[in-house]
Amino acid sequence: MSAGVVQRPAVSPSPVPSPSRKRRPVGKVVVFVLLLAGGLVFASVFVYAALSAVKPADEILANPMSWLPSQWLWGNFALPFEETPFARYYLNSTVVGVSVTVLNVITCTLAGYGFSKFSFRGRNVLFLVVLATLMVPLEVIYVPLYALVFDLGWVNSFAGLIIPAATSAFGIFLMRQSIEGLPDELLEAARIDGAGELRILWHVVAPMMVSPMAALALFIFMTNWDSHLWPLLVGNDAEHQTLPVGLAAMQANNLGSGGIPMMMAAALLALLPTLLLFLVLQRKFVEGITMTAGIK
Amino acid sequence: MGGPDESEQPMSARPRARTVLLPALALLAVAAGCGSDDGGGSTGEGDQIELTYWTHTHPPMTELNEQLIAEYEEANPNVNITYETIPNNDFGTKMLTSLSNGSGPDIINMDDSALRGEYIPKQLLAPIDPAAFGADSVEELEGRYVDGTLDGAKGDDGTLYGVPSEFNATAFAINTQHFADAGLDPANPPATWDDVSEYGQQLVAAGHEGFNFVYLHAGWYTQQLQTLLNETGGSILNEDGTGSALTEPESVEALQIWHDLIREDQVGDADTASREATSPFEDFASGRRSMTMIYPWAVEQIAIDNPETFENLAVVPLPQVDPANPSGRWYGYYFAVNKASEQQDEAWKFIEYMTSQHERWLEDVSFVQPLKDWEQSPAAADIPFLDVWSQAYQQGKFDEVGPHWSEVQDAIKAAVERSIFDGQPPAESLEEASESVEQSVTS
Amino acid sequence: MALTRTAPGRARTARARPPGSGASGWRRRRDAVGLVFALPALVLFAAFAIYPMLRVFQLSLYDYNLTSPPVWVGLDNFRFLFGDERFLASLGASLFYVVVTYGPAVLLALVLALGLNTRMRGSAFVRLLYFAPVATSWVAVSVIWRLVLQPEGLLNQTLNTDIPWLTSSSWAKWAIAIAAIWKEVGFFLIIFLAGLQNIPKDLQEAAALDGAGSLRRLRYVTLPLLKPITVVVLVMAVIRGFQSFSPQVVLTGGSFGTEVINLFVYKTAFASARMGRASAVAVLMFVLLLMVTFVQLRALRKSA
Repeated sequence: MSAGVVQRPAVSPSPVPSPSRKRRPVGKVVVFVLLLAGGLVFASVFVYAALSAVKPADEILANPMSWLPSQWLWGNFALPFEETPFARYYLNSTVVGVSVTVLNVITCTLAGYGFSKFSFRGRNVLFLVVLATLMVPLEVIYVPLYALVFDLGWVNSFAGLIIPAATSAFGIFLMRQSIEGLPDELLEAARIDGAGELRILWHVVAPMMVSPMAALALFIFMTNWDSHLWPLLVGNDAEHQTLPVGLAAMQANNLGSGGIPMMMAAALLALLPTLLLFLVLQRKFVEGITMTAGIK
Repeated sequence: MGGPDESEQPMSARPRARTVLLPALALLAVAAGCGSDDGGGSTGEGDQIELTYWTHTHPPMTELNEQLIAEYEEANPNVNITYETIPNNDFGTKMLTSLSNGSGPDIINMDDSALRGEYIPKQLLAPIDPAAFGADSVEELEGRYVDGTLDGAKGDDGTLYGVPSEFNATAFAINTQHFADAGLDPANPPATWDDVSEYGQQLVAAGHEGFNFVYLHAGWYTQQLQTLLNETGGSILNEDGTGSALTEPESVEALQIWHDLIREDQVGDADTASREATSPFEDFASGRRSMTMIYPWAVEQIAIDNPETFENLAVVPLPQVDPANPSGRWYGYYFAVNKASEQQDEAWKFIEYMTSQHERWLEDVSFVQPLKDWEQSPAAADIPFLDVWSQAYQQGKFDEVGPHWSEVQDAIKAAVERSIFDGQPPAESLEEASESVEQSVTS
Repeated sequence: MALTRTAPGRARTARARPPGSGASGWRRRRDAVGLVFALPALVLFAAFAIYPMLRVFQLSLYDYNLTSPPVWVGLDNFRFLFGDERFLASLGASLFYVVVTYGPAVLLALVLALGLNTRMRGSAFVRLLYFAPVATSWVAVSVIWRLVLQPEGLLNQTLNTDIPWLTSSSWAKWAIAIAAIWKEVGFFLIIFLAGLQNIPKDLQEAAALDGAGSLRRLRYVTLPLLKPITVVVLVMAVIRGFQSFSPQVVLTGGSFGTEVINLFVYKTAFASARMGRASAVAVLMFVLLLMVTFVQLRALRKSA
């Protein structure tokens, strides 16, 4: 990670009033050191995994353990690609993740605008129904869903992986709450100027919703990157299988013979994109969450 | 909600309908565009025949399947076969989900428990077509195989639904180098489980893990307990299959053997046993463990994973509770045809080709297709420890199956875990399992 | 929640009414545009969420093994579940997971948020250390934690213990909770930090000028103002907790008392092919989560 990314404050923080800082600098430092130590404990899991990925196999679970490998086997990061269709899993996850994210940002922003700034008949009932779907264990709707997707001819296709995930209750909730906070006067002004609703959405609403949209995009992409069971059911061959499916198959079955170093390398490679994306977008993410009116 | 004025405005109905329809149509168009690149099914277009074929994952086998498919497609240019491998853990899930709406592959390659426990009773498979194999009757086809080896693909009424791609018996593997380390004679392998305990403790003293079972998914737990049950004379279900027999003394004895080996005599450590399972025999292959139960296909995999261990590997007969009255466990994978397939004739034709290559299954991946006198074929001559294997093929039993077998397997897995990992006495642990087994098979 | 509030400024639309049509007609047509905006999402929802959900409600009254036609059994599935030890055990496992994971995670997140809500140099970096696990996927993280929790893995070697974390009924549920706390703290930390930002600074300053020490300010200013957000956090925690699936699948496969409700549903539906029974569990969970959410939101309304 680059220092530039790291140094940027995550949230523009509300400064705790300065008197206390002057009065109790020692306490502050102690607190900070404790927090830092805790953070390093959290990070140690990643470091351990990364070092295990480049260790010779017999050093990984050696007792006593040594953090550093006796020799650095960087080639282990090639193992998943050599032993399994890892590159293909990666490509599939990327294609599906990006498509689902773009579709969600579009459908949820549209719906959020519709639900917050218009009072069409049945609006509240529809919105409650959308929210209620958050409560159903996903696993079980997959059987009827699979039957439907099959009838549409989408089994083992990208359509089957993407379209059923193209909108989300959480996304609609987030965008509705965020857009609701916009002053109606702004929209009215644009209307009086003769702007159509789509124009208003594009030129007035969207520019002010960049943060929630970024938060939504990040959230959806992360969720989709982690999606396991649905891709497992819908994707039959490596051409349509995503990273979690591939990873779980490598873990639980005899797929590839790279052992623990391969698994660690694969896991790290699999979590890198969302981690990097988060580091880049985290400020927007936090702002977006803050704007969700449910929190205010 | 809504304004106070509820009067209808007929004028607005039409534009409203259009605004409703347009995005919906646009969406459908997008969706259709994404979906058109490949359908999931098996519908033939014109003369071109599309077949789908599903197997579990086992890298050497996958490779051979791909070769044979390529050859078959070359010889039959109008046939196109889509081959898909599905991890064992997920096979049942995928299979049932896709069969639930009449989809799924044309050709299935699955183990006998799943066939007898799920697919045959649920009438998902097509009865075998002897004509595709150039036989006049099912009896004639059956006559080509070693007696009893096709029972794994038969329904209760005796109807045959498949032919084997691989047929396995159980033997035992020892690491001769470890035996030498512990001052044991590899030429005198353990004949009973008491021997395994005794040798095991000496091997542990020599710095190895003497013996252990394999702790992967519920199927593995059950098949290993079943192997012991076959020897002790116990069983999972009672005779008419309506209840549990796990609390019978013979059944408890089976788990007791397992429990005593691991918890009392400590010939192996269950907590550190590999559950990572990039290969099921990882602990033996890596040279950590000295003795293991083994199947023919695993020998090939050990040779690939660790040639050094393979050098020192000896296959010996499965240790017995009663050596005078030996027993064993059989299981097989069978080619079968989906009853919902619209191209059953073509599917059987393909299967016929696959089984006609039995020499290569044996030679390339150590899969035995138990045709009569298979052990006398030229390919068999190259199989290491052929005498042990052919002996093992004489004395086997297929696993028990029953309704909702996956629940029964889960109950057995939980019982074994309570006994082996948590230390609960086998009798108690099986008592608990017995209740859930009863419930599973009766509801 | 402002579900029934009509937008202010509505009255002014009358000004722009086109001649010849009633004010309400114009407004209705404009409001219909809102429905059009919501339509793509609603169509997708109807097809890929509502329809399968209704099917689940319907199937909960049937015996359905996926491959034969469903058979009507009335409330038998529910009756069975209330006497089924495996179901009750999975309910217990989920409850344990929710309480033992999300209790500490929320508390830890709150404490961390209070500590990290400062402009001190380097605090952004420390925040990132806690955020990082949030941005990773459960399957990948579980693969890593499997190694950490091995008998000779990082955790045992650091603590100098010899605990079979993933292979004993006494420890497995704690092991998963530890991994889950690690994974989830950052999520709630983000939300709490966002909430702390919304606390007016002048309140803090006023209290400080009145001579309130930092502990008193925490007790009487910060915490009461954080109450609404805490309720939201708890709602989310309960929903996330009860929907947990991947860590249990990858870390233990549901063994050793870690078969949570979703894993039970999954196995019942797909491995045992008891779709009706699995649907009944889903319906029960739906009702339970709805009730919990309702109670929590009422608490929110009271506190707000």
